[in-house]
Amino acid sequence: MRARLLSIALAAAAASAAAGPPPARSSDPAARALQREVAQMRRERELSAGKGFYLRLDAARQRLALMLQGVMLDDYGTSGLELGVPEVLFVDRRPRSDWDLESISMGSLEPERQRDRVEIIAPTPSSTEPAEGASPAPSPPPAPTPKSAEEAYSVPSPYRIVFGEGVSLEVRSRGEGRRNRTLLRRAVDAAGLRLSDLGSALGLGSQDRIRLRVTLEADDAASLYRSLPPDVGLIVAGLPPR
Amino acid sequence: MSAEAPPPSVSSPPAAEVPPPVSNRRAQAVAFARAALAALLPRLRAAWSRRRVRVASAVLAVVALALAGTGWDFEPVPAGAAAPVVSKPASREASRLAAERERLQAALRRRVPRGPWIVIDQTHNRLRLMRGDETLLEAPCSAGSGMVLKEGAKGRVWVFDTPRGRFEVLSKTENPVWKKPDWAFVEEGEPIPKDPGDRIEYGSLGEYALYFGNGYMIHGTLYERLLGRPVSHGCIRLGREPLRSVYRSAPLGTPVYIY
Repeated sequence: MRARLLSIALAAAAASAAAGPPPARSSDPAARALQREVAQMRRERELSAGKGFYLRLDAARQRLALMLQGVMLDDYGTSGLELGVPEVLFVDRRPRSDWDLESISMGSLEPERQRDRVEIIAPTPSSTEPAEGASPAPSPPPAPTPKSAEEAYSVPSPYRIVFGEGVSLEVRSRGEGRRNRTLLRRAVDAAGLRLSDLGSALGLGSQDRIRLRVTLEADDAASLYRSLPPDVGLIVAGLPPR
Repeated sequence: MSAEAPPPSVSSPPAAEVPPPVSNRRAQAVAFARAALAALLPRLRAAWSRRRVRVASAVLAVVALALAGTGWDFEPVPAGAAAPVVSKPASREASRLAAERERLQAALRRRVPRGPWIVIDQTHNRLRLMRGDETLLEAPCSAGSGMVLKEGAKGRVWVFDTPRGRFEVLSKTENPVWKKPDWAFVEEGEPIPKDPGDRIEYGSLGEYALYFGNGYMIHGTLYERLLGRPVSHGCIRLGREPLRSVYRSAPLGTPVYIY
């Protein structure tokens, strides 16, 4: 019995050692700051070891970058970073202070980016050579030239990248830029987002707990909307200690 | 007396065409609104007792207040407000953490390729050749059109997308020869040849090709005027001069990042 208990205790100790050091808060403020920084860098190393794209929001340097395996593919300057929490009847719901150290993944655009694909039905192949004197078979009509990204996608402002863990990133644009969105569509977007805000604050539908709001130059915001890969992750670095 | 009277104005328009002054129109509007209210109020009073109106107003006020206080509460995050960098750790724990931070920083730095690397933005059809943080070349390219080709009889479907992710240059060829796949014949309405030799086409891929897996490559094009637009069948088309530079600068194993 004692041997069995000892083996269970050893197994538990081994499991806890494999899970890494416990996230105990140090009494030394410098150590605490370092602890956060190290935890964040560990998360970043995990993300960079994976095959998925992720966004890196650096609050201190005011940059938002699209990353893949630790390599910066695109980089945007941000301004006016804000941190939002849901509020019901003037009472807000504060998240855990270490929410930014957790895994944030499966980000998708809201409103969704619609892609209109051109479909071509192949012409029936002519298996025999045309008879002498007969007119040759007409060649198939040329395929239409696909639209460029600017022509294909109109960009709402603001838009959100909603992640699976209750975190969302709201992107606002500054200046006019080439958004290619009608006034009516923008009004519908705004009404939809306000309704979605109410719903998420009340805990209906989406389960957002944290919302980060950044402002990008209009062209940067449009570029990010048009090129964001599906299922992106997020890492937030440089938030002030709380 | 008659000499002091003002002369009649000859050029003035008829009185009927003069628009009423703004103040007149406003007065008319106010009068209309008053008349409408006067007509409506007794009806409203009849329909609603005073108590009902008070209750409805109170409910409306509560709902409005609740809506105003429900939503998202934002606080600005000051720029550069991150935790200060600890240069000389005071405690043993802090020293250990500082050492780990150094290790992690080095590990993250190692992720960036040392040699050349290629980034392709397939949405905006731009290719960049990089070395470290330096951009050596940026040029328009053509990525996959995203078109869907359906074959009528056999029901095969092809989607002309460029894959996303990290790839590597697996092989390089000068004067590449295109071995046309089935879709190239289907698209043209031609029968698929039985002899593999009939699939060979010279010159359509330009001077060079860099293969990065699954039949995808970076190659030249006969249609340089379409560069910057997504018109390819999934490969990356590049203009003659940039292709020459990329071919010379990117050895085998060069990482290719496509997003």
